Amino acid sequence: MIRLAARGVLLQFKILSQSAFDMLNAAFWPLVFATIAYYLFRSGSHARSLFDASLGATVMTMWATCGIGAAFAVQWQRRLGTLELLVASPTPFIALLAPITIAYAALGIYSLASTLLWGRVLFGIPVDPVHPFLFVVSLPAAILAIGMLGLLVSSTLILYRAAGALGNSLEYPIWLATGLLVPLSLLPGWVRPISWLLAPTWGMRALRESALGGSPLPAIGWCLVTSAAYAALAAVFLGHFERLAREKASFALT
Amino acid sequence: MNWLRVFFVGGLTSYRALFRWLNPWVYVPLMLLYPLFQIVFFAYVGRGAGLGSDRFFLIGNALATIAVACLFGMGQVIGNERWFMTLPALLSSPASRLALFLGRSLPTMLNGIFVCAFALTTGSLVLGVDLPLGAAGGLALAILACAFSCTAFGMWFGALGLRGRNVGILANLIDGIMLVVCGVNVPLRDLPGWVQTVANGLPLTHGIGAARRVVAGASVGSVGHALTMEVVVGLVYFVVGVGLLHVFELEGRRTASLEAF
Repeated sequence: MIRLAARGVLLQFKILSQSAFDMLNAAFWPLVFATIAYYLFRSGSHARSLFDASLGATVMTMWATCGIGAAFAVQWQRRLGTLELLVASPTPFIALLAPITIAYAALGIYSLASTLLWGRVLFGIPVDPVHPFLFVVSLPAAILAIGMLGLLVSSTLILYRAAGALGNSLEYPIWLATGLLVPLSLLPGWVRPISWLLAPTWGMRALRESALGGSPLPAIGWCLVTSAAYAALAAVFLGHFERLAREKASFALT
Repeated sequence: MNWLRVFFVGGLTSYRALFRWLNPWVYVPLMLLYPLFQIVFFAYVGRGAGLGSDRFFLIGNALATIAVACLFGMGQVIGNERWFMTLPALLSSPASRLALFLGRSLPTMLNGIFVCAFALTTGSLVLGVDLPLGAAGGLALAILACAFSCTAFGMWFGALGLRGRNVGILANLIDGIMLVVCGVNVPLRDLPGWVQTVANGLPLTHGIGAARRVVAGASVGSVGHALTMEVVVGLVYFVVGVGLLHVFELEGRRTASLEAF
């Protein structure tokens, strides 16, 4: 299973890296968000770290690519004609779907590289994480957690034909609720418990605290806990929808 | 008479057939909710940075939704002819090209105006921003001018759809650049001089500036120059866009690439 997951993530990552659309989303859009944040943070009255803005823009894009990709993942397999083969294989379907959503989140590696380079070259933002080792550990933890959230989204939106559009429209609310560029203290109190349930909150916290100082280990731990919880929920949803689709023989229907 | 029929009936029919986001399951999340969420998000980013002007972000982002509706709209209503394999049939018809393609731009423009008005109204309600009633006329003119210039710019993407496979990627790229340089979220004066020069040649820049000044209490007359500039920018894009449509059609015929992917 581990070999399958690792190979699956690598294969999907290579496929996505060949896609102009996905690469544009992964490498260009974080620059848009980071640039806006740099200018606003610099001219605002509240002192905010520009390195923090880079990380926020990275996690925003990580979720954006994963959210849209995951919402569309099952539909895409159906369109390619591979959905029936995947479901019919002896491997649990969840083990085949999870690498796809994790690979989408892993495109965040490109986002991080482009954002840090952009910030360094154009805005002179130093890249000097306080805990370099933990920073390196935080990145895959964030990718895993966000990828598994994508898996949960994918498993719940199977029957919604315009899932990609819905996934797209949910970008901003999730960016807001997870405190990527906006401190959670500015948001209404009821948003905070919601943020605890969302992986980008912990992914961002892990990256932020390893980069700017603090103790990232609890956040890394929460990334793993939320990942496990998302996987369990996704397994339930996928099992249910797989049974429904088998009963109705609707796997190949677009 | 036939020109008008192709323009109005053909334009509307093509728009309904080719603008794939008209499906309510797509339209509501992408054209209504997404702009509203965008406005709220950037208003909060502004609050977090200590800028504290929700009105600035409301107007900038609401007018920016016109670009999304018009750039992607025009890209789809012409470019999708290729995807649906109807491009050769369309271009072999004797109908006036101007009527064919301009007819598609009118619904695109109206959609941009509607989406912007919706975003402005709901955004002001959610953020509690007061938009003075006296500014309605000036705001409407700014929206109209931006819708015209963005639709004209969108004709470029439609024209590219006659040659390229996926103009959505390019529209996505340009949309991101406009979000940074056109004064949507970052005041123009904060940007480097050369970026301001580029921004002055892009749709939205003058219209957003005019809308902000009108809402701040300026008279329509005092923003007349900015509104005129927005229309002039649109006219330039329009003329070049029509030229591109013509050139790419000829090129597509010459290279027999109208059906190529």
